[in-house]
Amino acid sequence: MAQTPFLNDIKTLRFLAGEMTQGDLGDAVGVTRQTIAAIEQGKYSPSLEVAFRIAHVFGKPLEEVFRWQQA
Amino acid sequence: MSFREKIHWIAFVSIMGTFGWYFWTLPAAADAGPQGLWASAGLLLVPVLGITAVTTIGTIIFALRNPKEANAQEDERDRSFQIRGTHLAYYPMVVGSWLCIGLIFGGVSQPMLLRIILGMVVAAELIRIGSQIYFYRRGY
Repeated sequence: MAQTPFLNDIKTLRFLAGEMTQGDLGDAVGVTRQTIAAIEQGKYSPSLEVAFRIAHVFGKPLEEVFRWQQA
Repeated sequence: MSFREKIHWIAFVSIMGTFGWYFWTLPAAADAGPQGLWASAGLLLVPVLGITAVTTIGTIIFALRNPKEANAQEDERDRSFQIRGTHLAYYPMVVGSWLCIGLIFGGVSQPMLLRIILGMVVAAELIRIGSQIYFYRRGY
């Protein structure tokens, strides 16, 4: 299975944000629950806009949500 | 399974079923004398109506079971699957078009040409929808 070349902390951030569901985050960002699940699992690379929107929901800078994974 | 994936499955199965029947029945109709071409064209009503009925009923059922997801707009991941599916479907269309151009000059009968053109369109649709189902299953 192909993985994106970066890691993310969305699952942890959702938990810290009052156990927010994938569906709630999807609604806040404007994508489906399945897309949030795919991003969390590192299967799908979101657009820069969606990445920023996710970070904005958690009130974090982008680099605290997504981290480049050195090969 | 997401609402959109279910809708794609309905479309895929209905196209396979109805056009499978059509191509099974077509040779007898098309070769049945000078009116064969019109008979083949008339038979097209069955898959067209069948696909319309099955997809409409299926969409209504799944939308009633999950109205929130049914009302949600497609997002960037859905659109990327659509673009990739349409891109893959382009190839059978191009190959089929050039094949038909060659066969026209080769003096192929009209009923045979109709079968090839329809086969090309159905193959392209199945690849377009089938590839999207594959992308939904795979997740990216």
